Amino acid sequence: MPTRSTPILSLLTEDLLIRVNEKLVQDSDRKKWRLICKEFHRVDSLARKTLRVLHVEFLLSLLKNYTNLHTLDLSVCPRIEDGTISLLLHHVDHSIWARNLKCLNLSRANGLKFAGLEMLVGACKGLESVDVSYCCGFGDREAAAISGCEGLRELRMDKCLGVGDVGLAKIVVGCGRLERLSLKWCMEISDLGVELLCKKCLELKFLDVSYLKVTNESLRSIASLPKLEDLAMVGCPYVNDVGLQFLEIGCPSLQKIDVARCDCVSSSGLSSLIGGHSGLLHIDAGHCFSEVSPTIVKCIQKLKNLNTIIIDGIRVSDTIFQTISSNCNSLIEIGLSKCEGVTNMGIIKLVSGCVNLKIINLTCCRSIADAAISAIANSCRNLLCLKLESCNMITGKSLEQLGLHCLLLEVLDLTDCCGINDRGLERLYRCSRILCLKLGLCTNISDKGLFYIASSCPELQELDLYRCQNIGDDGLAALSSGCKKLRKLNLSYCVEVTDKGTKSLGYLEELSDLELRGLDKITSVGLTALVTRCKRLIYLDLKHCEKIDDSGFQALAYYSRNLRQLNLSYCAITDMTLCMLMGNMTRLQDVDLVHLTNVTVEGFELVLRACCVRIKKIKLVAALSFLLSSEVQGILHARGCKIRWD
Amino acid sequence: MSSENPSFTDFNLQQRQKQQQKWEDAMISPPFGGFNQASESGYLLLSNRDNQTKILDHQEDGKSTGTLGTNKVQDWDPRAMLSNLSFLEEKIHHLQDLVHLFVGHKGSGLGGQDQLITQQQQFLITADLTSIIVQLISTTGSLLPSVKHTLSADIPNGELGGLLFPPMAGMNCSPQPQNGGGSKVSDQSSKMDVAGDCGAGQSHFIEEHETKEEEDADEGEYLPPGSYDILQLEKEEILAPHSHFCAICGKGFKRDANLRMHMRGHGDEYKTPAALAKPTKESSSDPVVIKRYSCPFSGCKRNKDHKKFQPLKSLLCVKNHYKRTHCDKSYTCSRCHTKKFSVMADLKTHEKHCGKDNWLCSCGTTFSRKDKLFGHIALFQGHTPAIPVEETRGPAVSSDKMDGKEASNKVGNINFSFGSPAATGSGAKNVMEVNEDADDPSSYFSPLGFDTCNFGGFHEFPRPPFDDSESSFSFLLS
Repeated sequence: MPTRSTPILSLLTEDLLIRVNEKLVQDSDRKKWRLICKEFHRVDSLARKTLRVLHVEFLLSLLKNYTNLHTLDLSVCPRIEDGTISLLLHHVDHSIWARNLKCLNLSRANGLKFAGLEMLVGACKGLESVDVSYCCGFGDREAAAISGCEGLRELRMDKCLGVGDVGLAKIVVGCGRLERLSLKWCMEISDLGVELLCKKCLELKFLDVSYLKVTNESLRSIASLPKLEDLAMVGCPYVNDVGLQFLEIGCPSLQKIDVARCDCVSSSGLSSLIGGHSGLLHIDAGHCFSEVSPTIVKCIQKLKNLNTIIIDGIRVSDTIFQTISSNCNSLIEIGLSKCEGVTNMGIIKLVSGCVNLKIINLTCCRSIADAAISAIANSCRNLLCLKLESCNMITGKSLEQLGLHCLLLEVLDLTDCCGINDRGLERLYRCSRILCLKLGLCTNISDKGLFYIASSCPELQELDLYRCQNIGDDGLAALSSGCKKLRKLNLSYCVEVTDKGTKSLGYLEELSDLELRGLDKITSVGLTALVTRCKRLIYLDLKHCEKIDDSGFQALAYYSRNLRQLNLSYCAITDMTLCMLMGNMTRLQDVDLVHLTNVTVEGFELVLRACCVRIKKIKLVAALSFLLSSEVQGILHARGCKIRWD
Repeated sequence: MSSENPSFTDFNLQQRQKQQQKWEDAMISPPFGGFNQASESGYLLLSNRDNQTKILDHQEDGKSTGTLGTNKVQDWDPRAMLSNLSFLEEKIHHLQDLVHLFVGHKGSGLGGQDQLITQQQQFLITADLTSIIVQLISTTGSLLPSVKHTLSADIPNGELGGLLFPPMAGMNCSPQPQNGGGSKVSDQSSKMDVAGDCGAGQSHFIEEHETKEEEDADEGEYLPPGSYDILQLEKEEILAPHSHFCAICGKGFKRDANLRMHMRGHGDEYKTPAALAKPTKESSSDPVVIKRYSCPFSGCKRNKDHKKFQPLKSLLCVKNHYKRTHCDKSYTCSRCHTKKFSVMADLKTHEKHCGKDNWLCSCGTTFSRKDKLFGHIALFQGHTPAIPVEETRGPAVSSDKMDGKEASNKVGNINFSFGSPAATGSGAKNVMEVNEDADDPSSYFSPLGFDTCNFGGFHEFPRPPFDDSESSFSFLLS
């Protein structure tokens, strides 16, 4: 194709270029590659397997360009509709993209209806994985459309509220080779549907029936699945021990079981289940029953290969830690959130045996003190994630131990640990891999602490400083120079932050989620400085930023084109600016517009008309439900937009 | 079929006409035992001739007096008696005329058909004679109060009633050319509907609802052979729509109780508790002989000649068994148009549930319950539940309405055209029409509907600045 070959291209053949291209992981790197020359761009188009579309208006040209796509992700693409699909498939040339497609993500595509889905499924013959989760409007007809994918192996239908047994029956008959299926929150599905599923889809390896109104009868059918490895049944209120006994004798391949929040399941039921499956790797029994009984402790002894045990909210004693420690040596994750009875002694016993632990959740284990954390730090050198929210007795000593021994630490949650201060954060200096640090409500942290974080955690991506009231502009300046990869930042109610601080945040180019709730020292100047630089902002919370006036919001409207979620409640924005904002933000999907004193009813009417095509969720003052015209409300409803009345 | 309930105390013209119609039925009904298809067609042939209409004309004259008679008989009025007798005389005269007519026709006979026509003529004459006899008896009955009771109670039950009026169906089913008959059919069909909907208005007519259990109940029973009497009714007797007949006006009833209710209209003497009471069985001193029934269909397990003969318990069992097992399923459900029944009660039971939560499989099978449908789907490869077209607008609604009309029409048809092939044909045609209508809304969902897709989602965006016309897209596509 290129007539004037450059020297480098005469050396590098197309397949070599493709191989090089495949090594690129970061999107930004790929972008640079594409910009080198036409040939490189062509190679990228050929080699690209995955596409996540952010703007629906470019979809057509993008699909025309990338014909070898395996994965198409439309989950953040607002308002895919039947008409869009018809347009994409209407031109024969352009349905090439559909032929190779294996993986399709339509999560939250509420505008899509069965006719569009039918067309899509008809064109994408090779689909193996479909995600239609959170398409709340989906019903049996949409399910019937999906059932046209004969080769489907994976299907996520979380919260497809309208899909009932009939829809499920369509899918299980049409897609007999399903291996992974999630029916979480598909509230209409009952035992009948599950029973049919278990008769028709014998290849099933993963099944999620969480929050369904299924009974033991469903478990009886599920027990007959020969290849089931992973069963999630969170919050099934009608399932009890009898059902678990069916599972005890069935499901020979079972490895993972999640029975969290099944209120009628007792420890004896769970122990019978465990008794039948000594090869279990993963158990989640959080908030199931009140106390760990001796029988369960006895059963756990047999689980030599156990990787994960989550027993959130259950009263425990030291004996279970002793048992786990001496039997489950390969344990990687333990969840003890809100467990009563977790003591320092128990944790010390636990970590003495389970040295491979990588994820430990001790949220709200209030009696945990530095001794336990020191033991963890000393034993579990591979620790990746430690959650210590509301462990009030933790002090800087714990951080010192972690800083000394757990150099791989990535996630550290210290929310509401009052004992943490700047000196403690200083001790973390060797944990340079930290990605996520949560310091919300740690009121003793000041700019100095942020300075330590900025200097020791260059990889930091997420930082929570909720209500750290001693934080000021200097700390943010340090942060913006040290943690260049920061993506999520919560500064809500850090009331000392002014325009200067927000201006320095502008240097965080990767920033996508920013919460600035209740910062009443910020004005339009600060916001303008922020948004002109942070082009990647997706989520912005400006609730109660009452000093910002229209000029700031106009800048927001002009620069922050990528915003997906916005909270403007209690702001001083006026009719015209809000209109401009909502009309201009082409990716906005979720917006909170509560208590806007300067916006009139007519203004709201206009705003809603301007954004009704793409908005998916909107929060308004309840009084407006009587003032807004029924026409506008009707349009929003017809478009699948959900209005939350405050 | 016995839904008609003219109140005798309030005689208006319309009811009188109906009454006349009944007279016609009673008078022309031929009491032949071997009523079969051939004879029916033969009769049809005959009925098209002008002599038939003449008969009817003649009857018209006599009828007014006849009804008058029945009206006044309760007072035992000599004048009524006189009019009754003169009516009988007139009938005899009329019969005489008819025979004369036949004699005349025989002269100019039609060769091959002659034999058949002669047979028909014989039947007709016998029928007339029979009705005259019945009339005579009933007149006598009203004359002698002491005899009256036994007559009114016995005749409908006894041999006479059964013998004299069995093939009423044959009369009803023949599409009668005279306008009176036609109007009556339609009239009754509408009445039928009313009766089905609000039974309260006609509460003194016991609903005919023979359930299946009645037949199957005797499955477990074992009676040693010989310990019971076996009765075997003939096919025609089983299929006769009525087994109890009014001795005065000849109206037929399925149930004795309904007849007794009807008799109240013929005079105060029928209103006494004794007359209304259920006829008591023979005194208990007699040894009770158990009666069991045999199906006349040879080879049937319920036939007494079968090796493993299982007797039927009651007359009703016989009727239902015979219709269900050895008759065509001529009643089609007016809602689903697929389920067919040979017993009207079965159809009614089905129609009660049909359409309510009707679970439909892709193969066309319908189920009243979801779990049954799912069991079916689990069993058969490739079957899926059909999703009901809930979004039916426009055409579907009208088809629904039509369904309703069709339903009543069809019930009417079926009721009054029992065994008539012509009427069944039209019924089937109706079904097809409805099916076409039901198919209509599906076109609404065809992908073609999206050819005119709206680009609304696109041109809402300020950039890039293209509009929704086809030509402006072409630069992007090339």
